[in-house]
Amino acid sequence: MAESAIATINFKQAALQLLPQGANFEACLSCGLCSSGCPASGIENMDPRKFIRMALLGMDEELSNTPWIWVCTLCKRCEYICPMSIDVSKLVFLARSNWPQDAKPVGIVRSCEMTRATDTTSAMGMSPADFEFVVTDVLEEVRARQTGFKQLQAPIDKRGAHFFVNQNSREPMSEPDEMVPLWKIFDIVGADWTYASKGWAAENFCMFTGNEAAWREVIEKRVNAVNELGCEVWLNTECGHSYYTMWHGIERFGLQARFRLESIVTYYAKWIREGRLPVDARWNTRGIKFTVQDPCMIVRKAYGDAMADDMRFVVKTLVGEANFIDMQPNRSANYCCGGGGGALQAGMTAHRRTYGKRKFDQIEATGAAYVLTPCHNCHSQMHDIGRFYGGNYGIVHLWTLICLSLGILGKNEQLYLGADLLV
Amino acid sequence: MNQEPRHFTTQLAVIGSGIAGFAASIFAARRNIRSAQVGNTGAVAYTTGYLDLIGKQGSAPGSVADPWQALKTLRESEPQHPLSRVAQAEIRQAFAEFTEFLGEFGLAYSAPGERNLTALSPIGTLKPTLCMPATMAAGPAALAGNAACVIVDIHGLKGFSGAEMVANLGQQWPALSTQRVTFPDMARGEVYPEVMARALEVPATRAKFAALLKALAGPATVIGLPAILGMHGPDQVHAELERLSGLEIFEIPTMPPSVAGLRLRELFEQALPRKGVTLIPQQKVSALSFEDDGATLALSDSYGAIRVHAQAVILATGRFMSGGLHAHQSGVREQLLDLPVTQPASRAEWYRERCTDPLGHPINRAGIEVDDLCRPLSKEGGVYNKRLFAAGSILAHHDWIRSRSGAGIALATAFKAVTGVEQFLFNPGRPSRVGHNRR
Repeated sequence: MAESAIATINFKQAALQLLPQGANFEACLSCGLCSSGCPASGIENMDPRKFIRMALLGMDEELSNTPWIWVCTLCKRCEYICPMSIDVSKLVFLARSNWPQDAKPVGIVRSCEMTRATDTTSAMGMSPADFEFVVTDVLEEVRARQTGFKQLQAPIDKRGAHFFVNQNSREPMSEPDEMVPLWKIFDIVGADWTYASKGWAAENFCMFTGNEAAWREVIEKRVNAVNELGCEVWLNTECGHSYYTMWHGIERFGLQARFRLESIVTYYAKWIREGRLPVDARWNTRGIKFTVQDPCMIVRKAYGDAMADDMRFVVKTLVGEANFIDMQPNRSANYCCGGGGGALQAGMTAHRRTYGKRKFDQIEATGAAYVLTPCHNCHSQMHDIGRFYGGNYGIVHLWTLICLSLGILGKNEQLYLGADLLV
Repeated sequence: MNQEPRHFTTQLAVIGSGIAGFAASIFAARRNIRSAQVGNTGAVAYTTGYLDLIGKQGSAPGSVADPWQALKTLRESEPQHPLSRVAQAEIRQAFAEFTEFLGEFGLAYSAPGERNLTALSPIGTLKPTLCMPATMAAGPAALAGNAACVIVDIHGLKGFSGAEMVANLGQQWPALSTQRVTFPDMARGEVYPEVMARALEVPATRAKFAALLKALAGPATVIGLPAILGMHGPDQVHAELERLSGLEIFEIPTMPPSVAGLRLRELFEQALPRKGVTLIPQQKVSALSFEDDGATLALSDSYGAIRVHAQAVILATGRFMSGGLHAHQSGVREQLLDLPVTQPASRAEWYRERCTDPLGHPINRAGIEVDDLCRPLSKEGGVYNKRLFAAGSILAHHDWIRSRSGAGIALATAFKAVTGVEQFLFNPGRPSRVGHNRR
C-alpha cells in the first residue's frame, strides 16, 4: 500500500503525552481483555495487547508501518474494558496521522478531500445548489402526491430556527426519498428547524485520515454555519461519527460554538414521552422481532448509556417490549460493527468482513428480523456482512419505523423494508 | 459549547464494580434501597466463576472440607478477620441471595451447601469452593466417579491444554483423555474464549460444534470444555449443546480473561438496571465528599462531568489493582478519602523472605479498619462518617488469595454493609437486624 516511506514514531514517548495520568504502558497487566473484546484482533497478525507490548519493547518501526491501524476502527472498546484505561486508539490515530498522504487508503483520503471541496462539507461533493434543488424537488413531489402533507416544510437557511439539522449526504445524493420521513416527524411535532446551504453534511472522514488540520477545517465550517444562522441546537440526525467528530472536534480545537449539540434520538424519546409523537406498536401484529445496534460514536465514545437507554425506549415503544431483543453485549460495551473509522471507505474489504463476523454473530444470536440503528456506517456495514455471511435480516432507520407506526410512510420511503413490513 | 453536568440523586451510592460492589447493589435492590453504582472494570472479569467461602485454614496443610467449621476456627484464631465479624446466618443469606439473583438471569449456580465442592482448574489442579456455575457442575462428579471423559481443547486457544490436564489429573482419573478440535468458522491465529462463547450463541454454530463433539467422543459419555458455552444465558447454550450432542458436558474456567468472569460482569451490567439500579459503568470516582445532608461523588465520563448525590455510600474499591489502595514510597494509602490503612510499619516488613512462606506476607493483610456495621474508622479511631460503609477486599486483616475466600469476604461484608445502610436509612438509632430481608 505504502508509496512514500513512513517515518518511525517513538510510541512509548508518545504515550506519555497522549495517555491520561495513570493510563500508561507500565500499568498494562497484559491481561488481554482488550484483545479478547476487539473484533480486529488477529487481522494483520495484530491486536491491541500486542500493539501495547510491541510499543513497550520499542518495536516502533513495525508499529509505524502496520496496516492494522486502518483495520482498527478507533472504537475505543479496548479502553472501555481495560482496568487501567489504556486507550490504544490514541496511538492508532497518531500512527494514521504519521502515514504520508499518498500511502493512506485512497478511499478515506478522497472522502476527506471531497468534504473540503465545497461549503456544504459533503463527502460526496454535493454543492449548495444541488442540495437545494434536491430538497425542493422532493418536497414538491411529496406535497403534490401525498395526502396530509400539502404544507410540509423543508426550510433552508432559516435564521433563528431552533434546530440546525444535518443530513448524511447519502440521502440527498443517492436516496432522496429517505429524507422525507424525517421531515414528516418534524412536521408532526411542530419543530422549528432548518437545513443550511453551508455545512449541512454529516460525514467527516478527515478525522479518520488522521489529518487534524482538515478535521478542524471541516468542523469550523460547520460551527460557523450554525453560529451564523443563530440556531440553538445543532441536531445530529441518524449518523454516528458526525456527532463525535463535531462534539470532540469543538472541544479538541477550542472552537466557539454558540449552540448545543444534540442527537435526534434524544428528541425522538422526548417527543414520544411528551405525547407529541404518538407512536405505538399496534401495527406489529405479527410480532416481528427487532434489535438495535448502538453506534460506538454516539454511545460509548460520547453520550454513554443514557443515549442507549433513550434509543431502547423509542424502539420498544415502536415495536413492542416483547418484540425487542437486545444484542449481547450492548450499550457502551457493544462491539463496533466494523464499518467505523473509515473502514467502509478504506478498500480493505476482506478485513472489514472478518472484523464484521463478530457483529454478524451478535445479530444472528438475537434471531431478530431487523436491526435498527441511527448510524449510516453501521447501517451499510451490517447490510454488507448480512449478505456476505448469509444472514436474513434487514437494517432500518428509526425514522422509517416511526412513520410506519404513524401510518404516514410513503411508497417511496420503504427502501429498507422487507416484504413483511411493506405498507 | 453549551453542555451541562449531569446529576443523579439516590439513596445509596456504591463505589466499585468487583464482586463486593455488585453484591452490594443486588442486596440493596432486594431491600428496596435506590442505588447508583460506579466503577471501572473490576476484578470480576478475572474471576473463575467459582464462589469460594474459605478453602484454606491459616497455614494448616490441606484444603478445607467444611467451610462452616473453618469459619468457627477462624473466629478463634483471627477475630479481626472480616469473615469472623459477620454471623454465619448472614453469610449463608448473602450466598443464597447472590446465587438466586444470578440464576434468575440465566446463570444458575449450585446452592451453597454444608461442604466445599472440588473444583477443576485449567491446569488440572483441584481447589475447594462453595458454589459453582451449573455449567461446571458435571466436572467434579465425573472426576469422583472416574467417568470416561474427553477434555476437548481448541486450536489457537492459549492457556488451556487438555494434555496438561490429563498429565496432572490422570493418576486419580484414569478414564480421562483429551482431543483437540478446530472451532467452527474460526481458523485464523489466536482464538479467544469470549469470541467462541458469542459464536456458540448462534444456533448454526452450536449445531456444528455439537457435531464435532459427537464425532470425537467415542466411548466417552462426558465432555470437558474450556468455559465457552455462551456469554449471555449460558444455561441455555449448555442445555442445547447437551441435547444436540447427546453427551454430558461441563466447563472448566480458562486463564483470565475467562468467559466465566466476563459472564458475571455482563450479567450484572444487564440485570442491575432492570432492577432499578443506576449503573455508571467503566468510570472511576475522582472525589468523594460529605455534607450535612448527604454525600457527593464526582466523576466524569467521555461526555463530561457527573455528580452523584447519595444519602449513604459503600466503598468497595478493592485493593491495589483496582485502585482502592495505592502503594507509595512512604506506605500504603487509601485513594479516595485517605482513610487510615493498617499496614506493616515499614516497606521492609511487607514481605517475608520466602515467596512461598505458608504464613503469607504481611502486606496482603493491609487495609482499612471498620466498626461492627462496616463503617470505616478515622485516624482518631471513631466512625469516619455515619454515611460511609465499606466492603470487600479493601478491608484489613485478611489474605483472601491464600485463604481462598475472595467471594466469601466480598459477599459477607457487602451484606453486612447493606444491612448497616438499611438501618441508617430507615431505622436510625435501632440495632441492626441480622438476616432481615424485605423482598
